[in-house]
Amino acid sequence: MFKSPTWQRRLEGFRRGWYKFSRNPVSVVGLFFVLLVSFLAAFAPYIAPYPEHAGRFVNFREASQPPSLKHPFGTDVFGRDILSRIFFGFRYSLMMGVVVLSLVVPPGVILGLIAGYYRGTWIETLIMRITDIFLAVPPLILALAVCSVLTPSVFNAMMAISLMWWPWYTRLVYGLASSLKHEFFVQAAEVTGASKFHILFREILPNCVSSIFTKMSLDMGWVILIGSALSFVGLGAQPPTPDLGTMVADGAKYLPDQWWIAVFPALAIMITVLGFNLLGDGFRDLFALEEI
Amino acid sequence: MRRGTVFALSVLALVAFGLAAWAGGERVLRITFAWPTYIDPAVGSDFSSSSAFVNLYDTLVYPDVNGDPQPHVATHWEVSEDGTVWTFYLRDDVYFHDGTPLTAEDVKFSMDRITTIGEGYGFLFVDRVEGTEVVDDYTVRFYLKEPFGPFLTTLYRLYIVNKDLVEANIKRPGPYGEWGDYGKEFLLTHDAGSGPYMVKEFRVEEELVMVKNPNYWLPIPEEAPDEVRFIGTTEPATIRTMMARRELEISDQWQPQEAWKALDAMEGVDITSFFPGTSFYLMLHTRKPPTDDIHFRRAMAWAFDYETVVRDIFPGSIQSRGPVAQSLPGHDPTVFQFHRDLDKAREELRKSKYYDQLDQIEVEFHWIAEVPDEEKVALLFMANMAEIGINVKVVKVPWMSVVEEMANMKTSPNIVSIFVAPHYPEAGSILESRYHSSSAPTWEQNEWLLDETFDKMLEDALATVDREERFRKYAELQHYIMDLCPSLFLFDQVEKHAYQAAYIDWPAARGEVIPVMGYNMAARFIKVYPEKREALLKGG
Repeated sequence: MFKSPTWQRRLEGFRRGWYKFSRNPVSVVGLFFVLLVSFLAAFAPYIAPYPEHAGRFVNFREASQPPSLKHPFGTDVFGRDILSRIFFGFRYSLMMGVVVLSLVVPPGVILGLIAGYYRGTWIETLIMRITDIFLAVPPLILALAVCSVLTPSVFNAMMAISLMWWPWYTRLVYGLASSLKHEFFVQAAEVTGASKFHILFREILPNCVSSIFTKMSLDMGWVILIGSALSFVGLGAQPPTPDLGTMVADGAKYLPDQWWIAVFPALAIMITVLGFNLLGDGFRDLFALEEI
Repeated sequence: MRRGTVFALSVLALVAFGLAAWAGGERVLRITFAWPTYIDPAVGSDFSSSSAFVNLYDTLVYPDVNGDPQPHVATHWEVSEDGTVWTFYLRDDVYFHDGTPLTAEDVKFSMDRITTIGEGYGFLFVDRVEGTEVVDDYTVRFYLKEPFGPFLTTLYRLYIVNKDLVEANIKRPGPYGEWGDYGKEFLLTHDAGSGPYMVKEFRVEEELVMVKNPNYWLPIPEEAPDEVRFIGTTEPATIRTMMARRELEISDQWQPQEAWKALDAMEGVDITSFFPGTSFYLMLHTRKPPTDDIHFRRAMAWAFDYETVVRDIFPGSIQSRGPVAQSLPGHDPTVFQFHRDLDKAREELRKSKYYDQLDQIEVEFHWIAEVPDEEKVALLFMANMAEIGINVKVVKVPWMSVVEEMANMKTSPNIVSIFVAPHYPEAGSILESRYHSSSAPTWEQNEWLLDETFDKMLEDALATVDREERFRKYAELQHYIMDLCPSLFLFDQVEKHAYQAAYIDWPAARGEVIPVMGYNMAARFIKVYPEKREALLKGG
């Protein structure tokens, strides 16, 4: 029937998708966390009680105050409101995740497609052996090494994480592409004389998208966690940047008495990472069901 | 089976033995320090190194609580009329740890070695001591190039090393010609001293373990510790845990404010504080833009909030008045003192050649990672400077890296925040180590002042044997420095240590403070009572 317009079919598809997704309540919780964190990050300057505390601000008179009505999460040793800094901290965490993924996914995926399609040739050997070299080094160690050579900053931390992250996408897409290349629709396209570009990006890539998407949402959490780890050891964001990892590192010195300085930022990291992971699980279920 | 039983029994025996040794009451004194420590007297010069020297080595003279020199290995001395020839008469009953007697030869060797190597406290003697003469076995004579007033007090830093032992351990070839490496590699982890304690084990990254010298020539009280451990950590949570378990007797001085409160609340633990003559400086690089501009530096000096520092960040300290700590002999109380005045700051800034490009300029501020409270100063500085439009980049740097970067004019940052203590208790000491050209590549100077006039004035002051006249010259120098504004003089440090008041007796905590860095950590004067410790552990 050609009567029903495209958008109606899309809406129907979306409804079905949401039904499948929402059948797992844990995924919905994940989605909620992600939306919450994104909202707080986006509107931090308007909803944070003390937005100026995220910048070059100190007030030693109010240092190390326990949680109260005035400061719901307490203040740190510099007298800055921890709640406000967490809201701003979400910005850096999300930025870290988004920037890193948008840097690593395109090259990782393209290399994977090429290597998978040209399986058995020197192109595959070259790409995959380089990938193996990167995969052989534990990710955090590599990032630490890169960061300690460069001057510590958020930018360099993102570069370092990106450098170690792309091989995972290459590996993933390589596996998918090398099996997809034997499918009939790919062979059909080859027989009809379609260009390599067409085969790679119009035939094979669309069939990898669901897996890439799932991995991205799972990775979002990991990237944030590694970014926090780098900040924790002092190789990431520099003060007074309100980075969650740095906040935990600073607060850890005052445990257990001034517990709020470290605990709330740590919880904030946990919620962000957990949210993206649960969401990723939800996506995986969603796509897995569709394939059946 | 039988083998298993034997093994189990031996483990049991070991455990029992360990417990017995513990219950028998080992007298251990554990102190934490900012690391690393260099136990070679020709290399080290920081707090932990100086504290180690005092325990491992002997000196010709020893400071009393006023900082005045008292006889030690030297029983008496003479000085020529022109003040350039100093003759010392030594005791004949001092022996090194390996049993060889300490003679004038060893004193000469130690002086030659430290002046040849030129590191650590070497700058006290390089260019100053022309030569050393062995008159007889127990008489030694120093020839100075020029009369040097505070010579006696600098001898607190001439730690006498065992010539035979060092010579037997020289590695050749080395950087010192016929002397090879001058025993540097050996002395990195061993001692060659005659002091009340000797090195038992030194794990360079972590811990220095020393044991009592049973043959020390001076009586050591029985209650003095049998074993002294210098532990290389200042990590507040670790310090707290060790203090609570009574596994640490004296804490380092680098704990953050919050930690002092928690330590003070612990049963049996007290905090002691004294003014050791140490000052806290923001050292401004006078040869690197934009801190090479005097108006820029003055603007920062006017904009900084000194009061918050002494009131909220380092309570108990006092704002410095000039480069010399107020408790140090030779300080001039009439020296100018900056206070926070934003109008004056802006006025100075307008005169600066960088005024038009403030938004493109970033001042790099390095603070010592091992001292968490310094971050508060750094962020306060950053906030203060933002008010007059100066951008500050705050960087946390480990001590080892700071020492490395400050060795070179190019790698030295715009600003480093550091505590500096005098090496001998006089204003001249701090003026020399902070601003004399010879100290520019050390961690004690980031200014790179390299000011010939100042060098000459200081050299003249130090050459003055008459104490009153010398102090008058020190006063002039303090005014001279103040005019150049090469540093921000934040505060005179109050040195705090948490210590186990319930089971150790520490003279410095009783007010008997020796105003020379390291000397308050002389373990032979500290008494430890293990039975009181046991009681405290059982009670807790």
